[in-house]
Amino acid sequence: MERISKKQVYKLAQQLMLRLSEEEADNIIAEFDTLLKQLDLLDQIDTSNVDEMIYPFEEPTDFFREDIVDHVLPIEEVLYNAPVEEEGYFVIPKVVKD
Amino acid sequence: MFANRKIENIEMEVMDAVNQARKQQPLLNAMVSFTEVDEAIEYAKSSSGKMAGLPIILKDNVLTKGVRTTGSVQILDNYIGTYDATITTKLKEAGAVIIGKSALDGLGMGGTGTNCHTGFVHNPYDLTRMAGGSSVGSAVLVASGAVAFAIGSDTGDSVRKPASFVGIVGVKPTYGRISRYGIIPYASSLDHVGYFTRGVEDAALSLEVLAGRDDKDMTSSFREVENYLANLNGDLTGKTIGIMGNVIDAIRSKEVLVLFNDLVEKCKAAGAIIKVIHMDPVRLKTCLPVYYIIANSEATANHSNLDGVRFGMQERGDSLEELMTNSRTKGFSFLLRKRFIIGSYSLADENQDLLLRKAQKVRRLLVEDFKVALADIDVLIAPASSDVAPLLTDTSADQLSARYLIAENHMVLGNFSGYPSMTIPMGKINGLPIGINLTAKPFEEQVLFDIALGMEHLTGCKNMMAEVML
Amino acid sequence: MSFEVIIGIEIHCELKTKTKMFSGAPVSFGNLPNTCVNEIDLGHPGTLPSLNKRAVELAIIACELMNCEIDRLIRFDRKNYYYSDLPKGYQITQQFHPIGRGGYVDIEVDGVSKRIGINRLHMEEDTAKQFHHGDVTWIDFNRAGTPLVEIVSEPDIRSGKEAAAFVEKMKSLLEFGDISDVKMEEGSLRCDVNISLRPYGFEGYGTKVEIKNLNSVNNVLRAVEAEIARQTDVYFKGESIVQSTRRYDETSRKTVLMRKKEGAVDYKYFPEPNIPPIMISDEFYRKVKSNLPKTAQQRKEDYIHLLGLSDYDASILTSGKDLSDYFDAIVSCGAPAKNTANWLISEVLSVAQLRNNRRFADWIQPQHMSDLLVLVSEGKISGKQAKEVFADMIQGESPKDIVAKKGLVQVSDEGHLLCWVLEVLSNNAQSIEDYKNGKDRALGFLVGQVMKLSKGKANPAMTSELLVQELSKR
Ligand SMILES: [Mg+2]
Ligand SMILES: [Zn+2]
Repeated sequence: MERISKKQVYKLAQQLMLRLSEEEADNIIAEFDTLLKQLDLLDQIDTSNVDEMIYPFEEPTDFFREDIVDHVLPIEEVLYNAPVEEEGYFVIPKVVKD
Repeated sequence: MFANRKIENIEMEVMDAVNQARKQQPLLNAMVSFTEVDEAIEYAKSSSGKMAGLPIILKDNVLTKGVRTTGSVQILDNYIGTYDATITTKLKEAGAVIIGKSALDGLGMGGTGTNCHTGFVHNPYDLTRMAGGSSVGSAVLVASGAVAFAIGSDTGDSVRKPASFVGIVGVKPTYGRISRYGIIPYASSLDHVGYFTRGVEDAALSLEVLAGRDDKDMTSSFREVENYLANLNGDLTGKTIGIMGNVIDAIRSKEVLVLFNDLVEKCKAAGAIIKVIHMDPVRLKTCLPVYYIIANSEATANHSNLDGVRFGMQERGDSLEELMTNSRTKGFSFLLRKRFIIGSYSLADENQDLLLRKAQKVRRLLVEDFKVALADIDVLIAPASSDVAPLLTDTSADQLSARYLIAENHMVLGNFSGYPSMTIPMGKINGLPIGINLTAKPFEEQVLFDIALGMEHLTGCKNMMAEVML
Repeated sequence: MSFEVIIGIEIHCELKTKTKMFSGAPVSFGNLPNTCVNEIDLGHPGTLPSLNKRAVELAIIACELMNCEIDRLIRFDRKNYYYSDLPKGYQITQQFHPIGRGGYVDIEVDGVSKRIGINRLHMEEDTAKQFHHGDVTWIDFNRAGTPLVEIVSEPDIRSGKEAAAFVEKMKSLLEFGDISDVKMEEGSLRCDVNISLRPYGFEGYGTKVEIKNLNSVNNVLRAVEAEIARQTDVYFKGESIVQSTRRYDETSRKTVLMRKKEGAVDYKYFPEPNIPPIMISDEFYRKVKSNLPKTAQQRKEDYIHLLGLSDYDASILTSGKDLSDYFDAIVSCGAPAKNTANWLISEVLSVAQLRNNRRFADWIQPQHMSDLLVLVSEGKISGKQAKEVFADMIQGESPKDIVAKKGLVQVSDEGHLLCWVLEVLSNNAQSIEDYKNGKDRALGFLVGQVMKLSKGKANPAMTSELLVQELSKR
């Protein structure tokens, strides 16, 4: 893996709806050096013909939830935590609809 | 201790706990909030539940309806739970009285108790020291004697490490044994609900309350919950105990090794069969990077819901993008933003093969090694930390040393594999506790508790409490 | 230089379930905003998905109807992006292992049949609805989490007509399969079309343009034709097509640029850790497969071969599931199939159009419709009377009550009829003369006179027979 550039760090931050100060971006780049050294450890492991392990236990289940209404939040509880609310809707600055 | 003990004066027991936690707060800083207890006390009075009247504390990433639940991050500072986590419901139904919510490293992402939104949490044995993390507040409040039971969560070793640093029992059962519904996640495939007690019997009883299938968590197990307490048997005769040789090799502290070896000798004398097991050392050194990549990748997606739109703290902006960016930037500490960025980097299309998928493949190899290591034994043991709790000012850990890579990170194998794992105290070094970690095969919590009880008899480290100087 | 048109179509279709894909909150039908949600749909901290069984059944049915190979191991993935209509900041979808692959459907254009490949069919969840009010946007999360299947065709479609026929066919399959309401105008079926042109004989593909959110089959046809014309024009001008998303503007009948696509968006897909792989058991699969609803085509064949309807009638009756269901219900109440078909196609459909309401049973119960048709077939009332009765039935009355109230019973008693016939003959000597002289019209006139005398109650067929019989005696 190559060292990450500041531009890449900012781009990732932007994709994640995060801002970074100059100093913070530098810190992340420095952290990547440690990460890259750790990746060297990973690279020493031969994983050809090994599948990704995504779940701790892999026997498939056969459970499905029955299609029965079991829980609706009262509107007061839906909106209780809403930062901005109007006539039962959550409100945000106008978004240009795609 | 609460197993086999009926709480007669519930009000008194609860108010003692509340008062103690309040009094200790200026020194320990372990609480985030205190909750109303009157209703729960009334309920407990007529309850015949397994925790009737027991004052308890929840890590502040456990959802509680109508009660603030912050996950220890600014962006959720004003969030009021809209529902109860499955374990919250189970604990209430068992008659437990939730007295408050405890501090954690933000979103569970940290192992020091120094990344809490509410400030550093202090070790009750030495206020200048850490108590580990991320379930730091819960661990500290059990160790300080405020409560006899507290909920934590364990993604890397976030229950078992702090348990070691404060001399209590910390349990992380099998993945799927306890429902994760209503726990603010860190990394879904590694997250476990765990808990703290001051003795193995309490630990066995607690799992009876917490465990069980929950259709709201599709990864939860259908297996019957056993009568762990009634079946508890501390006889070590014929029990096969494996020592993680690689961990012992990596530990530099003579005192830790002395304590550990002493306990091993006592186990042998009590009839246990001891084996030393070595796992592939090259693979073992990858525990940390494998953990780091998987955990951060899952975490960055898991916390995309925290955007300031529907709940939590909103920082205004002229556009949606600005609103989200302002809210998330202010709402997360730099440490969290950094981890999200690293996680997102591992998920990027051009990196996923080299990072996330590679880590997931190595995870499989490590779990296979772990399975082999456990194949012919009952439990695998090692010191739960390479030394006693570090000073709060200590940031010197060399993350690439063998001590760090193996001795400080081996417990994450329990999260990779989902195998049940717990820490119990094994003694003190200069007045500071340190624990031993035990891991068993999947769903063999009974085996784990049995051997832990046998060891508890040998160490005499039961119901240890710190004297917090007030 | 002429161009070959390459079209692929993506359809998002809301499933007809009671609850959301991953939560037990109800699926909303025009309810008040944010009243059909729970903490899962709102993406609150700590929530986890729990997969809806009915949604999986419907997806399996869709796969069967579209001849897809089914992946019996159900797996989900996360598609990550930030937007205000996406509560969790990711959509749970099936990027890596769609439940269906490699299917096809047959369409017919100008009498020629053509097979269109289905690349994939996968399950996912819908987003919230947003409304724009001045300088703010209102969000209603009722739709968030509604079960969807996304169906992606192979780029096998070559014209606007084929595109429209494909969408029409998908609508029919999904509707008759009871999988979806397929209401394009209400968004329960949404359609995006990808179009590119290439010179004939050229391998590979030209730059692709996506037209989003087409809200009717007609607009699919018009939009595709407009876009083909636009792209052809661009090529002839020697310019190049810009990879972009466009929409169809009904007023100008042109496609309009929405945004350019600059490089592919990286959605950072990865397997959903909160949903373990779920195996569709043999039992579950067999049960779904053995209860597959009949397609429009199968119903049409039944109408022709089992009920003796004409190809034309059968086609009209199966043009919509609502009509076909109504027809089946009436016939199962005992009405003769052929007459039922005639009545539905002529009378009922025109009233439905007038009222703009195809919930037929809401305004005439199948039992009432059947009773009416039985009265006619048993000769109890005439066809003309039936139409009168029908008009009143729309107000909800039963045909038997109307007939009784209006005294509309048809007289088929020979003795009774003969009295009227003899009276008419005695008053119309000239007509008898005309009849004898071979003027056929005279018979019609005489029948009319009997009807008049009987105030319309006489059975016209029997009246005519009796008249012929009596005239032959004179
Ligand atoms: Mg798509
Ligand atoms: Zn889609």
